[in-house]
Amino acid sequence: MADLEQKTKQGASRRDFLRGSGFAAATAVITGPAIASLDEAKAAEPEFKIVSDTTTLKLKVNGVDRTCEIEPRCTLLDTLRNRLDVTGPKRVCDRASCGACTVILDGDLVYSCTTLAISCGGKKVETVESFDSGVNSVPHAFVQNDGLMCGYCTPGFVTACKVMLDHNPNPTIDEVRKGVDGNICRCGTYVGVLQAALAAAKTMKGA
Amino acid sequence: MPSVWPENPRLIGTRITRLDGLVKATGKAKYPSDMHPEGMLFGAMLYSPHAHAKIKSIDLAPAERMPGVKAVMIVGAIKPGSTLRFQGDDIAAVAAETEEQAWDAVLAIKVEYEVLPHVVTEAQAVAPGAASVFKGTGIVNNQKKARSQTNGDPEKALGAPGVVSIEANYMAPVITHVCLEPHGLTVRFVGEDKIEAWASTQAVGVTAGDLAGAFGIPTTNVTVHTEVMGGGFGSKFGADIWGITAAHLSKKAGGRPVKMFLDRAHEHLGAGNRPSAIAHVKLGASKDGKLVSLIAETSGTGGAGSGSNFPLPYVYAVPNSSRTHTDIFVNGGNARAMRAPGHPQGCIVMEAAMDDLADKLGIDPLEFRLKNLKERDMVEDGFSKPTVDRTPMYLDEVAMGADLIGWKAKWKPRGKNGDGPIRRGLGMALHQWGGGGPATNQVACTINPDGSVEMKSATQDIGTGARTIFAIIAAEVLGLNVTDITSNIGNSTFPPGQPSGGSTTTPAMSPPAFNAAILARDELFVKVAPGLNAKPEDLTLADGQVCVKGEPKLPWKDACRKLGQQSIQVTGKSSPGLASQHGGVGGCQFAEVSVDIETGVVRVKKIVAIQDTGLIIDKMTWETQVYGGVIGGLNYGLFEERVMDPTVGIMLNPDMELYKLAGASDIPEIVVRAYETPAMKARGVIGVGEPPTVSTAAAIGNAVSNAIGVRVPHWPMSPKNVLDALASKEGKA
Repeated sequence: MADLEQKTKQGASRRDFLRGSGFAAATAVITGPAIASLDEAKAAEPEFKIVSDTTTLKLKVNGVDRTCEIEPRCTLLDTLRNRLDVTGPKRVCDRASCGACTVILDGDLVYSCTTLAISCGGKKVETVESFDSGVNSVPHAFVQNDGLMCGYCTPGFVTACKVMLDHNPNPTIDEVRKGVDGNICRCGTYVGVLQAALAAAKTMKGA
Repeated sequence: MPSVWPENPRLIGTRITRLDGLVKATGKAKYPSDMHPEGMLFGAMLYSPHAHAKIKSIDLAPAERMPGVKAVMIVGAIKPGSTLRFQGDDIAAVAAETEEQAWDAVLAIKVEYEVLPHVVTEAQAVAPGAASVFKGTGIVNNQKKARSQTNGDPEKALGAPGVVSIEANYMAPVITHVCLEPHGLTVRFVGEDKIEAWASTQAVGVTAGDLAGAFGIPTTNVTVHTEVMGGGFGSKFGADIWGITAAHLSKKAGGRPVKMFLDRAHEHLGAGNRPSAIAHVKLGASKDGKLVSLIAETSGTGGAGSGSNFPLPYVYAVPNSSRTHTDIFVNGGNARAMRAPGHPQGCIVMEAAMDDLADKLGIDPLEFRLKNLKERDMVEDGFSKPTVDRTPMYLDEVAMGADLIGWKAKWKPRGKNGDGPIRRGLGMALHQWGGGGPATNQVACTINPDGSVEMKSATQDIGTGARTIFAIIAAEVLGLNVTDITSNIGNSTFPPGQPSGGSTTTPAMSPPAFNAAILARDELFVKVAPGLNAKPEDLTLADGQVCVKGEPKLPWKDACRKLGQQSIQVTGKSSPGLASQHGGVGGCQFAEVSVDIETGVVRVKKIVAIQDTGLIIDKMTWETQVYGGVIGGLNYGLFEERVMDPTVGIMLNPDMELYKLAGASDIPEIVVRAYETPAMKARGVIGVGEPPTVSTAAAIGNAVSNAIGVRVPHWPMSPKNVLDALASKEGKA
């Protein structure tokens, strides 16, 4: 326990140190409104907490409230796969290079292999399993355009495509390329993937 | 009478979407690495951090005391005194309640290493006084020389008056498979002598046999499931040490299932690779462009024991040739079969030399190639008879490809592609492969009284669409829709099916599937004919109806209901004429590139791929395989390379960031065409997974040389290799 307290103190003093150096120097040159917003940020900052051993994580996965015991080092991906049996997102590179683990976290695309689960408490996670799979959907377009072979990268590509189309319903082929450039397929299904994304853009508008 | 494919098929050869597409695209497919049977433990491997070391001592006790740990063991024959021959060599394994605990326990295993001198590159391995990777008969200075193969008198032919020749060095690096689902399995030891496993494998039968063999139990006691799997490319044919170790851990843990999949670095280090190729080549031709002689001294490394040979001479008629190949051994992971093993290397070396010689002769390299095809190049038909001549096929295919890339209008001799910083170039290459399938497999077909149909065999789908192939064939025969058929594959207890390697799955499995469906149909006819006051031979099936002399009389479901309580269950075998057993395909590819000669960056603009493959079952998945092959070859041509650090002996890029693979923005326009004449269809089914990946890297390399006016002798066509070649041209290297 004493150890934990000491760590907490260290944590707090390091934060103070950062404030007192970099931040202080910065405030010397920024203007009034900016200082006010900094103060707001300071007030909104959650209480610093050291977690050791396991802790309980609550998050919403595909619309369902889920709870599990995690260690602070657990990634969101390993938590989904190993603890919650949500296996659509895949572990491939484990280093944010290939996109197979892509999920939607509070509306944003993230690589779940390099997102700590502990930072996701109370957040909303959507994975490929929750997507519409009807005739106007992205998964359906992948099938119709054969944008998959072994299929292991596919959940990541489908997720990236869906979020891209949510943001940009009329993409050019180059915008589609950029939209899925964070994903890697080893079988070499890119031609089908690009066609699928363009086809999905069309049918989703018709829906 | 042996069966023949329908003359005017309704489904075969059309574009059919894959049956398991949606379950994969919605993330609902359960891969072996997704399995989580009740009570499952997580496995993790301890592997060598050193390129070469002796184990002085090994202590598992600290790991056994770690929280959550249920079993710890040394793997294989490892003991104090054992030698580890590469970074990634397996040492010990752990099973624990959580994955994090398993990795902690791996770190807790105490191993004392005596680090030994290493050799991790070909140059290091053959240097005088280099450390020895292992001792063996015929191995000198880490090299094993194969007997040289000589035809005619190559030295004399090369020195003959009027012969124009080139002498050059070419090199392609070691690349790794990078299967997205790592090697491994989830396994449960049941009772004293049974095993159930969910394995990421290209061969459920082989994997079951490996597990049975490791425990001395009958193969009938082992069930291996592979419903779907995440890529193999030739590297996943058995249980592997990791799978067998996981089964031992499960047994030690009282039968609790254990999941054991390699981490990404271990995949690169220890789960297979394509060997490097280093070639010193002399190639000569008469002034009018007829090849006379090839003298090639080649080598390569397949790691700490595997070979590295590749076919050479390749494709073309070379009347006089000599070839000597030397395997170089290094402290690196061992090679495994990788998508058309040997051919991509052979193609790079041969086709680079062909281009360089055509340039020296001042002949259009396309014409030069056509001039040097074999007079006759006989390959097998569907009856295992060598009646098919590949030479006219190549001629047709090259004509198609040249037209689609615009060779006549766009091709300019090497060095004549402009003066600005961006140079454009065209290149081409020819390839060949087998692609037949053995006639040893079986498929069971069941027609149930409720009208449902099941096709079943112990093969598996590595991404080629095996499930869909079965369904197309059954639906064709039974007059049903593809989605009416259930294909059950990926279970080692089913009738024997083909391991998925060598592009053999579709040619090996289509004939027994076809015959099974025919047998089942004929049995149905016998059962329902009396009720229709017809003879069985008067019945046919079309559009979901049983027809009598062509007239629809009874809907499919009503016909099946007449089976009463009893399903029809038959097993089909292969028969001659439906598929090629040894194949023998050809193809050609063309690449158009632009090269920035200031930065060395190569952009591929367009690739044209022409491929013959006999009778195509599903045009859609066929095309996808060709696209995939081309993109695999583009990776080999532009990006891939295992980079070893000679000083510390480790791989510098065992990841997916510095180990480069193409992303969507790297994909050029790709034009795919099947060479599908009636004569090709008459050869029966031939596989296509491998041939289209063979010549892409060679064609890209040739296009780059055409663009910049100098050969880039080292693959991949990375900025460094391109700039090095440009510097050597300017005498700066």
